[in-house]
Amino acid sequence: MTNMPHLRILVVLPMYGGSLPIGRYCASALRSLGHAVEVFEAPDFHPAFTALRTLRVTSDRLEFLENSFLQVVSSAIAAKVETFEPDLVLALAQAPLSRQTLKRLRRDGVATAMWFVEDFRLFTYWEAFAPYYDVFAVIQKAPFLDRLAGIGAANSLYLPLAADPAFHKPLELSPVERRKYGSDLSFLGAGYANRRLAFRRLLDFDFKIWGSDWDGDEALARWVQHGGRRIAPEEAVKIFNASAVNLNLHSSVDPATLVTGGDFVNPRTFELAMCGAFQLVDERALLPELFGPDELATFKDMDELVEKIRHFLANPGEREAFAKKARQRALAEHGYEARMRALLDFTALRLDGWPKPRQNAGALAVLPEEIRQETAALLASLSLPQDVSFDDLVWALRSRQGVLRPLETAILFLDEWRGQYAGKGPSA
Amino acid sequence: MKRVLVIQLARFGDLIQTKRTMSSLAAEPCEVHLAADHALAGLARRLYPYASVHGVAAHGLPDPGGADAASAIIKNARVFAELAALSFDEVYCLNFSGLSLAMTTAFDPDSVRGYKLVSGQIHKDPWARLAFRWAKKRRLAGLNLTDFWAALAPSRVPPESVNPKASPRGGGVGVALAGRNARRALPPEVLASIVQTVFASGKAQRLVLLGAKGQEGLARDLSRRLKPGIMEKTSNLCGRTSLDALCDEVSNLDLLLTPDTGVMHLAAHFGVPVTAFFLSSAWCHETGPYGEGHVVWQSVVESAPCLESAPCPDGLRCLESFASPAFLPVLAGARGKEPPPGLAGFRTDFDALGVVCRPFAGTDPVMGRRLAFRAFAARRLGLEIADGPAATPDLAATLDLETDWTLDQARRPDPFETV
Repeated sequence: MTNMPHLRILVVLPMYGGSLPIGRYCASALRSLGHAVEVFEAPDFHPAFTALRTLRVTSDRLEFLENSFLQVVSSAIAAKVETFEPDLVLALAQAPLSRQTLKRLRRDGVATAMWFVEDFRLFTYWEAFAPYYDVFAVIQKAPFLDRLAGIGAANSLYLPLAADPAFHKPLELSPVERRKYGSDLSFLGAGYANRRLAFRRLLDFDFKIWGSDWDGDEALARWVQHGGRRIAPEEAVKIFNASAVNLNLHSSVDPATLVTGGDFVNPRTFELAMCGAFQLVDERALLPELFGPDELATFKDMDELVEKIRHFLANPGEREAFAKKARQRALAEHGYEARMRALLDFTALRLDGWPKPRQNAGALAVLPEEIRQETAALLASLSLPQDVSFDDLVWALRSRQGVLRPLETAILFLDEWRGQYAGKGPSA
Repeated sequence: MKRVLVIQLARFGDLIQTKRTMSSLAAEPCEVHLAADHALAGLARRLYPYASVHGVAAHGLPDPGGADAASAIIKNARVFAELAALSFDEVYCLNFSGLSLAMTTAFDPDSVRGYKLVSGQIHKDPWARLAFRWAKKRRLAGLNLTDFWAALAPSRVPPESVNPKASPRGGGVGVALAGRNARRALPPEVLASIVQTVFASGKAQRLVLLGAKGQEGLARDLSRRLKPGIMEKTSNLCGRTSLDALCDEVSNLDLLLTPDTGVMHLAAHFGVPVTAFFLSSAWCHETGPYGEGHVVWQSVVESAPCLESAPCPDGLRCLESFASPAFLPVLAGARGKEPPPGLAGFRTDFDALGVVCRPFAGTDPVMGRRLAFRAFAARRLGLEIADGPAATPDLAATLDLETDWTLDQARRPDPFETV
């Protein structure tokens, strides 16, 4: 779809977990597309939530308290919706939106979308929540899409993961960083059962394991870096850039099958590709439509993995060729901007009358002629499009931290003044 | 010396009611700056000669929908830049209005007292939050706005020092017509009898009608209803005085008859005696004249004070007692006469909290509750009202929330500080 108007979108982050950075990438991409984005920072509430678990009370009381707390957080989201008046509430998996709040949003005509960036077989809670979202985006196809349709989630779409080209990019690393983060073979991820067993076959290589949840595995302890602490996304990009071969083995809780051949493609696949880093990734049912055989090197079992590690370590030119093509494909098709555009187009296609037209004058039309130039610079500094509405400019200014510049304060003042005297209610 | 800014962008009357705040800050001592509506900047300089006044285009711009008005508003950016460059130690935002809140974004949020907008979130300090709660029970509460604002200052000058004691100045009787809210003013047919009664019972030789251009018709209507002997002594200055000339005129009066108006506060500022008529949404315990020796005739019917923006739920019953012939002898000072039911006379005085309206005629049905409230509010500010009621847990329970108990301490140096 073309000509999507500038929208107001509230991105609701989860309190923690793997979908948290994805939510931030989504917000960033939506801003780049020219939309006014507000983010509900659920992680700020997480410390209070975890404090409940230290109470040493009976389990039924703890459950009651946790539920009550989540209702408060969910009410905070509802309050934010009432104030911001978004065209769309985009929630990431595990976002603290209660069904009660979702019902209320539906009653109030506020469109909601969930990007469920999880394995539906592992995180089965979707059954209880999917029908309450207007749009439900997932990273798997059959049979998940049919099952969603079966429980009344009519507007479901396949939306594979992606990477952020502004963040996941080739880096010039210092010699110290190369020593710290580099190795012939590396893996970054959590210590799932299949990986724990699989990696025992790789210990003859110059191998570094990064990430958390590897504790209790004596066989791998020597190879786990930094005591298995959580790796920040900034550090991850350095590891990707510094490693000759980035191993990307999708997770499984079943230790019986080390290379599962499952369907969804994990975020690491896109992030490594976007970084221009070479990866060896296990074959996935949905991978061929995302990357070609000359873009990503794959393996289907452990024997092939070991063989290919040896091969590619010995052939840096081939590694470079794969990495270059993968990056080109990722840049062309697998950025979060493309995903967000697809999600919004799908939403517009499926939801009648969405987005509701707004009667908002452009900021440049509302502000006096003599400050046009200054305003244009201000819009650029706020990463807002030149045709942003006055109301969205006001919202962006209100959201700024700290002391505002005089022109910014004057614009907020004008907004209030228009509300009082010029028959235009102040922006929400 | 500490440098402070008071943001008072509201109207004429509010500007004058900021006096105790301004005096208290100046007495700290502080270098005091005041941001006021550009149309009132001259008056502000006259009221507060010790302060630097900064005019902000906020109200009264012609053609609000036009480009010139928007341009004038945006030009405020220059004023905001000047103010930001002054690096104030403290900024006092007195009004919970969108304009004032927007203006606070130009300053370090930690320096702002009262109300502020921080990253899109409005914050009220604990004292202001408490006020919003008692404002829901206006009839039972009662703290003069002048004292409410002054309580935001780190310390306060004594209330007696704010305005001169009321005493006649020899310039005749003034009548302030209407105000912005017509329902709060007596209609000409009621006002005429009152004016004649007061004028006849005194020795003044001059009657002056005061008001804005919009009240000219009202003034003519009133004049027509006055007896010829009084009409001859009447000057109609409605719409004919600048703010400076108004100040000169009011400052010389013997007495001002008025509803709840800005002119009333101006008279109190000069120590000119006020006899005020409060009805509808006007409540003398909140916005009565500041100083000693003023009189307010306050409607105390059950529906008073009402909500300005809502239609009258009571058929304007509060007006009836002002229109009653029984009121006039009381007004003339006849001994042994009581005002009609639903009306009470109050005289202004002071207690530890500030100005207080004490009943001298009629029945004040909520005096006990109000005194309990004042004692409560005084304790909140670390004050004790002499002979005031003791602690009242029931009242406190309706005004203090669990969050106050667990999160806030109103008497902290920085009321926004939470840890």
